[in-house]
Amino acid sequence: MEYALLQAVFLPLLLSPVAYIIGRKMGPTPAMWFTFAILLYTTILVIGAALGGTTEEHYPWTDMFGEFGFLLDGLASPFAIMIYVLSTILALYSKPYMIHKFHEQYKEEQKMTQSSGGQSTVVESNSLTNYVNAKSGLYFALYLVFAMGMLGTVLSTNLIEFYVFFEVMLIPGFFLVALWGDGPRRKIGLMFLLWTHAGAVVMLLGFLMIGFTIGSFDFADIQESEIPQDIALASAIAIAIGLGVKLAVFMFHIWLPYVHGSAPTPISALLSPAMIGIGAYGIIRLIVEFLPSTYADLAIWFHIWGLVTMIYGGAMALMQDDLKRLLAYSSISQMGYILFGIGSISALGLAGAEMMYVTHALGKGILFMMAGIIIVKVGTRSISKLGGLAGKMPITAVCAVIGALTIMGIPPTSGFMGEWILFYGALETAIEEGSTIRAVTFGLGLVATVLTMSYILWMLKRVFFGKTPEHLENVTEGSWYMTAPMMVLAGFTVVVGIYPDIFLKSIIPYMNGVLGG
Amino acid sequence: MGLLFEATSAAAWMVWILPFAAALLIPAVGKISKKTTGYVAVAFALMSALSAFSLLPVALEASEIHHQITWIDSIGLKGGVLADPLSVVMANVVGWISFLIMIYSTGYMKGDKDITRFWFWMMFFIGSMQLIVLSDNLLQVFFGWEGVGLASYALISFWYRDKKKDHVGTEGRTVLGLLDYYSPTHAGMKAFIMTKVGDIMMIAGMLLIFLFAGTFGFKELMGDFAWAEAMSAQGLLVPAFVLLFGGAVGKSAQFPLNEWLLEAMTGPTAVSALIHAATMVKAGVFLVARIGPIVFALGAAGILVDQFFEIVAWVGAITALLLATQAMVNPEIKKVLAYSTGSQIGYMMMALGVAGLSAQYVDGYTAGFFHLISHAMFKASLFMAAGSLLHVVGSRFMTDMGGLRKHMKKTYAFMWAAGLGLMGAPFITTGFWSKDAIFAAVFESGSEWAMPLYAIAVLTAAITAFYTTRMMGLVFYGKPSKHIEKMEEEGHHIHEASPSMWIPYGILAVLTIGIGIIGLSAEEGIHQTFTDFLENSYGIHTVHHESGESILPGFLQGLNPIALGSSLVAFATGIGLGYIFYIGRWVDPTKFVNSNIVFYSIHKIILNRWYLNAIIYWCFVVAPLWLSRGVFRYFEKTAIDYGMNDGMQKAVGWSARVVQGTQTGVSQSYLFVFGAGLLFVVLILLI
Repeated sequence: MEYALLQAVFLPLLLSPVAYIIGRKMGPTPAMWFTFAILLYTTILVIGAALGGTTEEHYPWTDMFGEFGFLLDGLASPFAIMIYVLSTILALYSKPYMIHKFHEQYKEEQKMTQSSGGQSTVVESNSLTNYVNAKSGLYFALYLVFAMGMLGTVLSTNLIEFYVFFEVMLIPGFFLVALWGDGPRRKIGLMFLLWTHAGAVVMLLGFLMIGFTIGSFDFADIQESEIPQDIALASAIAIAIGLGVKLAVFMFHIWLPYVHGSAPTPISALLSPAMIGIGAYGIIRLIVEFLPSTYADLAIWFHIWGLVTMIYGGAMALMQDDLKRLLAYSSISQMGYILFGIGSISALGLAGAEMMYVTHALGKGILFMMAGIIIVKVGTRSISKLGGLAGKMPITAVCAVIGALTIMGIPPTSGFMGEWILFYGALETAIEEGSTIRAVTFGLGLVATVLTMSYILWMLKRVFFGKTPEHLENVTEGSWYMTAPMMVLAGFTVVVGIYPDIFLKSIIPYMNGVLGG
Repeated sequence: MGLLFEATSAAAWMVWILPFAAALLIPAVGKISKKTTGYVAVAFALMSALSAFSLLPVALEASEIHHQITWIDSIGLKGGVLADPLSVVMANVVGWISFLIMIYSTGYMKGDKDITRFWFWMMFFIGSMQLIVLSDNLLQVFFGWEGVGLASYALISFWYRDKKKDHVGTEGRTVLGLLDYYSPTHAGMKAFIMTKVGDIMMIAGMLLIFLFAGTFGFKELMGDFAWAEAMSAQGLLVPAFVLLFGGAVGKSAQFPLNEWLLEAMTGPTAVSALIHAATMVKAGVFLVARIGPIVFALGAAGILVDQFFEIVAWVGAITALLLATQAMVNPEIKKVLAYSTGSQIGYMMMALGVAGLSAQYVDGYTAGFFHLISHAMFKASLFMAAGSLLHVVGSRFMTDMGGLRKHMKKTYAFMWAAGLGLMGAPFITTGFWSKDAIFAAVFESGSEWAMPLYAIAVLTAAITAFYTTRMMGLVFYGKPSKHIEKMEEEGHHIHEASPSMWIPYGILAVLTIGIGIIGLSAEEGIHQTFTDFLENSYGIHTVHHESGESILPGFLQGLNPIALGSSLVAFATGIGLGYIFYIGRWVDPTKFVNSNIVFYSIHKIILNRWYLNAIIYWCFVVAPLWLSRGVFRYFEKTAIDYGMNDGMQKAVGWSARVVQGTQTGVSQSYLFVFGAGLLFVVLILLI
């Protein structure tokens, strides 16, 4: 289909004002279905393009930066598919969660302006409806732009284009957190904006170094030209730092627990699985593919950095009482796995890293949705106040267990398929190079999987099993809008786990090409 | 041989697909009628067992069925089933014993409101185990392997509401400052994580082998040994197999990963029976039986692999003794049986290990596997019977039982029959023949370790006889305990369990004796099958015995006289001591233990599980949590959070105050600066 990728990226952007108007005039449900329809259509476009093999589109842009293009190849397609699949599914999930949130905020605001007093209930419910309509219009408009920003980033064929999309996803992200987050939301929104923006600027420095050295920003040109060693190294480090902030690897992770903890849950479920992993896409595309000799030098550091992040994130997750913060630290740990895989100079290791992105998207998506259902239905996110929920919300519990298995890497979920390939890659390089450091990191990496398992199982135990506290006696299962999306992802993770070729078929030839050439 | 049917590859697939299909079907059925789920489960378990049965010609003819399909094409991996004598015999043991346990469960779990979940996981458990048994490659085995772990996690913590009656251990008792009292959800977690430690070793071993061999397939690994030579040259061959064995250590609860098995007793007793007799712990033994011949064939090809077998044998021996001692003192009936399982599995490992150290691989191999079969029968029977006792008495402590032989005659008789199997009662039980075969294999192996291993084996046999007698004595003999008296006063009538419960363990108890009577020829049959199997599939030749000058008369001709003698002595010692303390009750065991400091301290060390569990908890649970808390408090919250977030904020705030000076509030000056900036940007762009 012609213009498929162009449509996939720009349709959500162009139609986002329409979503706003629909929400404002007709309420949250039509806005939700409208958003869902757009994203479903564009998801189908992306999947269709991916099935047809590598797809490339080019459009004229300014002379200064080069071409504006989209490239959907073996590397980009799993990312693109996961981003849009999650966005589509979470649009459904958003409705009940956000309505709950709007009501909460409405009450808050009412409390603040209560001095006037004396309104009749009719007026009140009317104004509540208006309030919810207006907010949901805005929410879905921002949601569409957010999704489109993520997709644009992974499809870019030009450094400047990459940077633009990279920042585009930041802005709606900021508003979504600052408007509807929990806790000190404006402060946390700003923190998100500042940290990731600072990272992006460092990355831009790296881009400019490359661009000015070879005189072009196009990926195609970068791939063909020879970049001097020192420039390549400097820009690779700048890019790695910039993307490292996005990935929230150890030392750059500080914004992530706040933002994931505070963001409205459907957005957490997009931020964590879909967005932060884009950092991994960037590293593979920009450093592994374009700067291979620099990558070979840096790989061992990625490897160790990844390992430290894995263990650190896991250890911190053990200490959390806030359900969403626990998942946030878990995401940090999972990003460590991905970086660990990138650091193995092996086609299968890199493929494993990308599979980890896919499985993390599925597993963490489910777990964040679980957290959202608990927030809506129970009204608390403090693990110590939960317990024995499995009997009250069986569907959520079953899906959460499947999501947890995915994160733990237990077959038959997709997590295992990511993990063994990843560790195989690490082992392969360790043996081939005869490197003791790599052998040790391989072993410690495996040990980290036990740590992952510990914090996840402990979380499940405290939330779903054990005695039910008295105040949870009347908890009920979440609505279908919330449980059905979870079930879809849970089914998907099992399918990928049993038949991983769905993704590996396109990933492995690409990775072989990158490392072979 | 003259069977009326032929084995097909479809049947081999069906053996493990059917239980999974049932698992998928059961939740749907449960929506309509909870009662029906049990029938669905039993029916599918039967069909799966029948499929396994239809594969028997493979075992009898020592042939094999190997059927492959494409799986992960992008890495060139294939999935498949491999039905050879080893897997077919195992599939039948698993299939039929599971089937009986499923029948038992219909009685045992009657009226439980979460019955649908129970059946789902039971079928998932059986399916995973059969997947391990029939897979033709390690990666697929690992799917079943983790499936078994997952099912055990779900079933051990089946009563997830953590009611007091579902806990195990003695409330309030501490060892080294840690509670020795576990809730079901804690126990499930412990089992899953502890076996996972074994699993990561296994996956490391698998990946090492895959790296050099480029395949996970058992048949392919036997193709040519270039990979093994390459690994051996780098000194990685034995480590790789030992790592694989690490998986078996975790799954089969061998030392030092044995501690999960005890807490696994929080699950429903039917689950314990399944874990101990058919699935889960037997998976480790099966894995060793699966890879053992490959390793031995490598050894026969001149590659040094002895260390692998030495490690297997020693881990088995240590576990056998370590866990048997603890079974002597534990007050909970299910825990005694659990310790006993670990100990008996140790025997199997020992046999499979010494097999590789001797010239006659098939002897130890058959002995280990025959013991697996006989253990599956009597242990399933004992567990199910213990479940009946728990059901009736409502307590897991043997001290709350006593004098039950009048009330529960059938259970009493069947437990004696199965218990005699466990003790290895001479000539009439399967347990005797299989244990004797192990003794003989160890004794005749000619390994440098043969004597110490043999001593441990005999000592363990005596202890086994002792603790089994103790269990029988405490439960069925003597006066009824206060607990029972109280129950009767309250109007509870102590009675025999329902037929759906006693028939399954009755069948197995009778089989223990029945097959025991023809035990020697049964063993010879298996021996012959495995001889042919090892010859055909692995090229392992067996030299035929010259059993000319045996001092033993008649049907005992083929036996090793020393093994037979020590077996008899061990049995007599154990049962004799047990009788003195617990059946005849001539000596009060409590007084005896407290009579001097040496007995007292030994008793205490054993009762505290040799402190192994407490040490593991201190090192791998308490310490890491303490460390994490420290890092969280003093690094994450201070250096990172405060330093980088708040610190940065303060710095920005401070610089803002400096910049504030420029905010004059006069719009012209803003416009002027704006214009200058714009000009600057334009100039840069133009240049």
